[in-house]
Amino acid sequence: MSVEFILNGRRASLQAPPDSPLLWALRDEKDLVGVKFGCGAGLCGACTVIIDGQQVRSCVTPVIDVAGKSVTTIEGLNGEVAKAVTEAWIRAQAPQCGYCQPGFVLAATSVIATDPKQTSEQVFSQITNLCRCGTYDAIRLAVGYALSSLQGAESQEKGAAR
Amino acid sequence: MSEGGSTLGRIARRSFLIGAGVVGGGVLVGAGVVAWRLGAIDGYKLPASDGETSFGAWLKLGRDGRVEVAVPHQDMGQGIYALAVMLAAEGLRLPLEAVRATPAPIEARYANPVMLLDGLPFDEAAHGPLKQTAVWTFDKILRVLGMQGTGGSTSTRNISEQIRTAAICMHDMLARAASARFKVPADQLKNVGGAFLTPDGRTATYSELAPDAGKLKPNDIKPPPLARGAYVGRGAPRFDVPLKTYGEAKYGIDTRQPGQLYAAIRHSPRLGGRLDRAVIPAKIAGVRGIVEGKDYVAMVAETFAAALAGLEKAEIVWDDSMASSVSTKDVFAAYRAALDKGVDFKPRWIVDSAGDVVRASGKEIAATYDAPFLAHATMEPMNATAFVTETEAKVWAGHQSASLVQLMAAKAANVPSDKVEVFTPFLGGGFGRRADLDYIVKAVEIAGKFKGTPVQTIWSRAEDIRDDVYRPAAMADISAKVDGDGLPSSFVYRIAVPSVTQQFVARALPSAKGGMMADRTTVDGALFPFYGLPTRSIENFTVDLGIPVGFWRSVGFSLNCHFVECFIDELAAAASTHPLDYRAKLLARAGSYEPAIRAARVLEQMAAFDKANPLPPGKDGAMAGRGYALTASFHSFVGEIADVEIVKGDLKVRRVHAVVDCGFAIDPPNVVAQVRSGINYGLTAALYGRVDFDNGKVVPTNFDTYPLLSLEDAPNISVEIVNTGAALGGVGEIGTPAIAPAVANAVFAATGKRLRSLPLTLGPT
Repeated sequence: MSVEFILNGRRASLQAPPDSPLLWALRDEKDLVGVKFGCGAGLCGACTVIIDGQQVRSCVTPVIDVAGKSVTTIEGLNGEVAKAVTEAWIRAQAPQCGYCQPGFVLAATSVIATDPKQTSEQVFSQITNLCRCGTYDAIRLAVGYALSSLQGAESQEKGAAR
Repeated sequence: MSEGGSTLGRIARRSFLIGAGVVGGGVLVGAGVVAWRLGAIDGYKLPASDGETSFGAWLKLGRDGRVEVAVPHQDMGQGIYALAVMLAAEGLRLPLEAVRATPAPIEARYANPVMLLDGLPFDEAAHGPLKQTAVWTFDKILRVLGMQGTGGSTSTRNISEQIRTAAICMHDMLARAASARFKVPADQLKNVGGAFLTPDGRTATYSELAPDAGKLKPNDIKPPPLARGAYVGRGAPRFDVPLKTYGEAKYGIDTRQPGQLYAAIRHSPRLGGRLDRAVIPAKIAGVRGIVEGKDYVAMVAETFAAALAGLEKAEIVWDDSMASSVSTKDVFAAYRAALDKGVDFKPRWIVDSAGDVVRASGKEIAATYDAPFLAHATMEPMNATAFVTETEAKVWAGHQSASLVQLMAAKAANVPSDKVEVFTPFLGGGFGRRADLDYIVKAVEIAGKFKGTPVQTIWSRAEDIRDDVYRPAAMADISAKVDGDGLPSSFVYRIAVPSVTQQFVARALPSAKGGMMADRTTVDGALFPFYGLPTRSIENFTVDLGIPVGFWRSVGFSLNCHFVECFIDELAAAASTHPLDYRAKLLARAGSYEPAIRAARVLEQMAAFDKANPLPPGKDGAMAGRGYALTASFHSFVGEIADVEIVKGDLKVRRVHAVVDCGFAIDPPNVVAQVRSGINYGLTAALYGRVDFDNGKVVPTNFDTYPLLSLEDAPNISVEIVNTGAALGGVGEIGTPAIAPAVANAVFAATGKRLRSLPLTLGPT
């Protein structure tokens, strides 16, 4: 029995047992190693993926739960918000060891995409990932950069439309 | 070596704190030995294949025209690869993209003597044990010389001058080759970024010149003193940042080899417990076998999920006949008993002393501090991939010493060490944990049962926390007699703590026999104080109840700086003097002692910040307080100011300002990032960190029971760099030691309560 779903924009299937964690299925079966193992209990967010727009911790998500859904990993992240977030991350030089950063980037992208007009504080409050290097100042800076680039771009577009 | 041959007893104490010329300015006999050994192998050249040209041990020009810089250190977030690229590009006048970093071969040429020399427990007072200690230590140095290692905040200090020298020498060789080719004096050639241009418009690129240049004898050129340049002193974007942002950076756990199997491991729940037997009750899909280790069992399967599922179903019987029954309370009771026994306790080491503390007079102030065991909790849990045959072994893993990996993997695989290949990807955090290589040894043992098949062993978070080598718990009795001005006429510091170095050497190099020694790391942060404490005794009571301890970011500084700086704050309060003013008085009393001068410079900047940024009142009536701490670690000086609020009984750290003197900041933005990192690492410890033991079992199992600082609770941290031009100090760990005392002192300022136990717990208010 296999689970059918959309993975990074393409139809895909997983052979892993339906009750086994999505994290390991993505890493071992699909070789998507940007999805990181940190705690196995949904506590740290290193394994964050985006499922139908929502940030989800893949280490506590059974494979069966993604049937018919759209899963995005760091490898398949694209679009305007993702571009703004990753560029902001690089501008802020956020990563240190970097292991947790794909999870943060996905979490931030998913949160910002729901409403790019949010304040930085609103975005921070929805990111509960953990970083052991303590890159939090740089992450806050990156979120600020991403929001201002998206909000700036949007107001420019409006200006151009007028 | 102008002072070569000086006796050990005459070693100036400041040579250890300042580390002039990195290795003690030549006053150490040991440094001489190390330099001699390094000199004898200095003809080493990086291996070059067809189309590549080697320019010595550090640089070569690749086929694609890019320069490769060899880095003998691991990148665990500190950015040493990016720094090596920056220094090579600067010396070769190339854009950053024209240089890439590669792991250095495992060769004695790339040893890290800085790390070893920093650990020497010398002091000018203890002549008796000194000689014995010196013999022991140099024995270790000679045995491990050639040991590559990343730790002790040494990577920049260890390789920056060597890479700068190599780059300037390679540039000179290329210029001479261009001069010969064009028959134009070198000083008339213009460097146009990767090529030389003659006055009449002829050019030759580095790649074109390399074959000729590589044959030239290098000139003995020294790089100019560190100063602001194209990248140096300004910083440059790290090449690893985009890789890490896009999830393309590969860590040990991302290793994928053809036909690879996966192993899930479980250790004895109790320290010292052994595996009796383990069986798989029935056939489990994907499971390929079970490996019975001495104190662990590993389930090997085609996927990691199958290995985990198999481990859940396995019937495991542990043999607890040798297991420890230690509990946290036993540890602290043993510390208390040792300190109470006082001068009669053995082993007790007076690591630093001056004057007669017994005969000093004044009113006595005394306090006892303690701190718990801590786990490292790197985000990437322990893991290693190994491939073993009858004749060779390969290891893919993050680690902090390639040479030790080679030695220990060879032993575990029963092959000669030159038949072990080590592949080192990025590390998902190190913090000292990956200096201990138990996880690699076990992965090799497990792969050894599946000869010819690569096996990746991954530890669950529970295993990672359960089988750590912990930051030791400690207890310190501190007392001072104070004069009429409230300044100490004596200072006695006694810490009960196990020795990390002793345990580490026993684990890593069991053949390196040596007696007990004073382990400098146990008292780092308390000895050779920059404060004027002319009458003092700094003592270590080595108490070891068998709990494994290891190097944890900033090691002994994480304990001693906390205890000392909280106690200094107590003395300031007793003297009714502002904590900054009190510290200034103590520094002034040290006279022209260089560490005191550097500490005073940092203190001045702290005072300036303090004046310009008064503590904001607590929001909604919350109690607010500001605390200060001043530390020296890894040859750098750091002062921190922490603003806290007590919100409904909860301690919140709102803002931290750090002043840093690391000599010269080669990459200032990264210095800021590292200091912030060190502070947040220390804040986790100050606010939440504790690993308890109950009847030999480790209590916490994951981030719910071993919480880490979150984005929400992380304060805004500003970092101010003071470039004093002193010899380079470390950076990676220096933010950590001052934060716990700054926060504890801020709690006192807010509430009048002294919290003398870590983690800081407010209790009922």
